[in-house]
Amino acid sequence: MKTFEQKWTAWLDGQLSGKELVNFEASLPDKAAAEAERRAAKKLGALLKEQLGAQALTNEEFFSHQLRERIGRETASQDRHGGRSTWWTVRRLAWSGAASLAAFVICAVFVLRDRNPGEQSQYLTQILNARVDPAVSPNATISMFETKEDKVTVLWVEGLQSLPADYAAK
Amino acid sequence: METEATLAQVDVSDLELVKQCQAGQTEAFDELVSRYRTRVFAMIYNMVHNEQDAWDLAQESFVKAWKSINRFRRHSSFYTWVYRIVMNVTIDWLRKKQIKGAGSEFDDSIQLKEIDPASRTVPKAEPLPHERMERNEIRAKIDNAIGQLSPEHRAVILMKEIEDMQYHEIAETLGCSIGTVMSRLFYARKKLQNLLRDVYENI
Repeated sequence: MKTFEQKWTAWLDGQLSGKELVNFEASLPDKAAAEAERRAAKKLGALLKEQLGAQALTNEEFFSHQLRERIGRETASQDRHGGRSTWWTVRRLAWSGAASLAAFVICAVFVLRDRNPGEQSQYLTQILNARVDPAVSPNATISMFETKEDKVTVLWVEGLQSLPADYAAK
Repeated sequence: METEATLAQVDVSDLELVKQCQAGQTEAFDELVSRYRTRVFAMIYNMVHNEQDAWDLAQESFVKAWKSINRFRRHSSFYTWVYRIVMNVTIDWLRKKQIKGAGSEFDDSIQLKEIDPASRTVPKAEPLPHERMERNEIRAKIDNAIGQLSPEHRAVILMKEIEDMQYHEIAETLGCSIGTVMSRLFYARKKLQNLLRDVYENI
C-alpha cells in the first residue's frame, strides 16, 4: 500500500501505469495544478543536472596514484601488524607455558618436602585421629614426646574413656 | 602479462575485474577506480560542497572498497556496491560534521569561487565575466538549498536527478526500502522547489 507521497513521486517520474495511474489521476482534486507541479519538478531536475552534473575531478591520474600508494601502505602495514601479532602470540604462549611449568615444579618440591611420610607410624596416626573425634573421647588429651636421635616416641594419654579394638598395638 | 592483456581489452566487464581483484590483482582495481573515480568524486562533491573533502572522502571510499572487495558477492553491479560504500562514508562524515557544528558548510564553496586561480590563468574558452558570475550565483543558491536537506534526502535527490538511478538501485545503495526512497524524494523535491523556484522559473 503506497502512501500519497510515494504515488505522487512515482507519478512525477512516470512510474505509474495501468489501473494505478488511472486511479491516482482520478483522485487528484486539480489535475491542471498537478500537471504544473510535474512540469516544475522536471525543470528542477534539469537545473540540478545542468548545474551539478559537470563537476570534474581535476588531476585524475594523481588521484589514482595517491590511492595506489595508500592501499600499498595500508596493505604492507596490515601484513606487518599481522605477522607481529602471530609471533607475539606464539612467544607469549611459550613464555606462559614455561612459567606455568616452573610454578608447578616449585609447588611440587615444597609439598613433597613437607610431607615426609616415613617419620610417623601408622599407629600414631590412628591415635591422633581418635583425639579429634569428640564422639569417642570428648575430654581426652594427648601429649607426644619424641626424641629423633633415639627414634623413640612417647604418647601420654589422659581422659581416654576407651580404646577401640582397632587401635590396639599391632 | 596475462593481466595486462586482459586489462587492455576494452570490454572487460566490471564483474570480471572484481573477480581479478578478489584474486589479488591490484591492476584490476586500478581499472575500476579509473572507471568510476570521476562519478564518485562528483557525487561526493555535490554532497559536501568542498573539493578537498570530496577528494579525501573519495579516497577513503575506494580504500574501503579495496579492503572489502572479497566480501562482494557480485549479486549487484559493482557501481551500486561501491556507491553504497561511498554513501555510507559521506553520510557518516556529514553527520559528524553536523554534530560538531563546525561553521557554515558553504564557506568553502564561496572561497572556491572567489579564489579560483583558473579564471586568471585561463581566460580563453571561459564564459564571460557576467555569465560566470551569474552561474556562480546559481550554483551557490543550489548548494545552499541542497545544504538544507538532511544527508539522506541529499543522497536520494542527487542519485535520482544526477545519476538517473532507479528507485531499487537507490534503495539498495542506501540500505532502505523503495517506499522510503520515494517518500524522501517527495520531500526533497518539495523543499528544493520552494527554495529554487525563482531560479528554475527564470532560466
